[in-house]
Amino acid sequence: MSTRTVCAGVVSCALMIAWAFAALVPIRAQSESPAQPHTAWIQAGSDVVLPPNMTFENGLGRLGVLNTSGPIDTKGHPFFEAIGSNSRACVTCHQPANAMSVSVESIRERWRITQGRDPLFAAIDGSNNPSLPQDQEASHSLLLNRGLFRVGLPWPPPGVSPEFTIEIVRDPEGVNRDPVYGLTSARPTVSVFRRPRVAANLKYVTSPDGLFNVKLGVLMEKDPDTGLPSSMNIMADARAASLAVQAEAAYRDHQGGTTPLPRTQLERILAFENQIYVAQAWDARGGSLVEPDGPAALGPANVARHQVHVLNGPKTPAFHFFDMWLQRSPAADPRAEFRASVARGNDLFLNRRFWVKDVAHINSIGLGNPAKRTCAVCHNAQTSGMDLAPGWVDLGTTNYPTWTEAPVWSEASDLPVFRLTCRPDAPPHPFLGRSIYTADPGRALVTGRCADIGAITMGQFRGLAARAPYFSNGSARDLRELVDYYDRRFDMRLSGQEKQDLINFLAVL
Amino acid sequence: MTTDRAWRTAALLGLGALVASVSSAQQSTTPASSRRQFVTCPIVRDTRTQPCWLAEYEGELYYLGQQGGVANDFYPPQLGHQVLVEGSVGQGRVCGGVPLQPVKVSVLRELAPACRTILPAEDGIDAPPPVPAPRGLAPSWVRVDSAGEVTLYFDFDSDFFSLHVTIALTNLAKHVADSPAPHIAVTGFRAATRLSSGQVLTERADMGAVRARRVADTLVGLGVPAGLVTVNSPAAAQPADGLNDPWNRRVEVRVR
Repeated sequence: MSTRTVCAGVVSCALMIAWAFAALVPIRAQSESPAQPHTAWIQAGSDVVLPPNMTFENGLGRLGVLNTSGPIDTKGHPFFEAIGSNSRACVTCHQPANAMSVSVESIRERWRITQGRDPLFAAIDGSNNPSLPQDQEASHSLLLNRGLFRVGLPWPPPGVSPEFTIEIVRDPEGVNRDPVYGLTSARPTVSVFRRPRVAANLKYVTSPDGLFNVKLGVLMEKDPDTGLPSSMNIMADARAASLAVQAEAAYRDHQGGTTPLPRTQLERILAFENQIYVAQAWDARGGSLVEPDGPAALGPANVARHQVHVLNGPKTPAFHFFDMWLQRSPAADPRAEFRASVARGNDLFLNRRFWVKDVAHINSIGLGNPAKRTCAVCHNAQTSGMDLAPGWVDLGTTNYPTWTEAPVWSEASDLPVFRLTCRPDAPPHPFLGRSIYTADPGRALVTGRCADIGAITMGQFRGLAARAPYFSNGSARDLRELVDYYDRRFDMRLSGQEKQDLINFLAVL
Repeated sequence: MTTDRAWRTAALLGLGALVASVSSAQQSTTPASSRRQFVTCPIVRDTRTQPCWLAEYEGELYYLGQQGGVANDFYPPQLGHQVLVEGSVGQGRVCGGVPLQPVKVSVLRELAPACRTILPAEDGIDAPPPVPAPRGLAPSWVRVDSAGEVTLYFDFDSDFFSLHVTIALTNLAKHVADSPAPHIAVTGFRAATRLSSGQVLTERADMGAVRARRVADTLVGLGVPAGLVTVNSPAAAQPADGLNDPWNRRVEVRVR
């Protein structure tokens, strides 16, 4: 039996070994492993065996990671090996400790430990601009402060005649005006900055909704391998119709892959991604989240066992039932109080109605603007909290005036700002018209459609406590800022207690 | 985003059963005096249950419909845009307005920032009971004369496919697959509408062609061989009569 475990890099391994010896607990492949730190880092090329059940500490409790296929040896596995040319692996940006994404806390820790030499900070997308001096922290500020990687997309999109033109209004990092990487370079490119999405619980993410995107009345794109409809929910801008497409693109764009990714390696990557489940498993205030009679949504094993593509409804609530936590114990019991707060948060999520307004692809698809709805109407996929239909919507986080960025010029923002001007003959953005200021055009960079400007595919709700910050632009540093944004955006008028209930609810997912 | 699961299943399976629910003819028998066609800002009224949608014309408040899902026949308007209302005056008052039934509402494309009226809930003004989604394809979106003879309807200046249209297209593709050596003729029309004020609004010049092309492309995407499909679109807008104008904004699909 192997005695290898999750550790990589000289310092983190040394710390973990010291910790293991101190605790006199041999770390080995087994069905359960002791909780490891939030910053437990798996470096590309690590030689470790990941047990099927892992737990990682985070600021709110512990994340559970379940590999339904048993232990996995990272040695030689293409998800964990640097198969491209820049010493990165898939795991570099999809760390088990961070719910298969990567948190700002871990990113900063990597900078501190490696003085910025970790492949995570590769110039091509781990810096604000590849042309900046790469040894300086400031050149990686978006990654270090917001957890954002640069996504450079060709403009115009291949095969698309865009409905709008793009002007650069602000370019704090210089990358969009860069002679090599910018919009007027030999390969015209628009650079936006986005968080890595969770590479786990993917059966929920990839479950297709049918032949049509019922929101837009258009056919779904098809998985090029199977010819079957795609979920179109995999990436922030839905540009990958399958996990295979995503993996191949990531190998090329993020790992510097220059030769075709061998099919055998691709299949091993996909198999691994499809067997990993993450969810918070223990809460510092609420205790174990995976008790036999507890809420059926919680913990990675429950995420693994539930059916996909179940629509939120009275009998199939988005995150199942929390009724057993509503009862308060007679005496003051902090754990029971916390659990009751979670249950109230779930109730708010399901039943608190408010005016959802000016959200493209929600209010523009036949539901009315505004629509008096609940959180769970849009976040309607049971267990994941995504949208069963393709979930790209313009919530408003990236477009002026509802964006998360500084509202006035004197408060500097570190994100680029573009002005998009729609052709007179094209349908405008349904709620912003024909001249739109945005920090990330989202889906529109793929489709070239004005109606898609700022539309970002909603992400899943699992393992949130392990992977701050939130929103695709990393603008919400914690769950309170996330809830605050919705409260402001939709004038929800949540009380302080209601906000806390929602935060507690999100924290245990 | 919510949809009725039955509809979703129907779309997935392309259930031909829905074809059987042939809608009645859309031809209006409403006298012109009872017809209201106007462009205005929509108004949403909060209630204890579902929001109601209203529109004011010449000092009268009209009830258009209530919030529902995309499986419903009525797709509500959007604040921030004007709306073209085309309907026939009904009896009584609903949610504080005179009902227009049937009614077709088209969200006009350009922004109208002044259209922002939300009325608060008022004692004594309630929304009607929720309207269930129709059992078949909604007649305001689709007319099915036979499995191979289908007409699809559109909002003004729009090529948007409602859920009902997507189901009709799925059924059509299945019918084509079951038909020996068929030919599919797709004809897209644009149209004018005569407002109650006498003004005539005409759709964009390419609207009929855009609709026809989208329908044809979608059928091909659903597996219909492209070589079987012919596409036509008369350049002239269908003339307005102030009564039947919504039914001129259409695409006819004929499988022979």
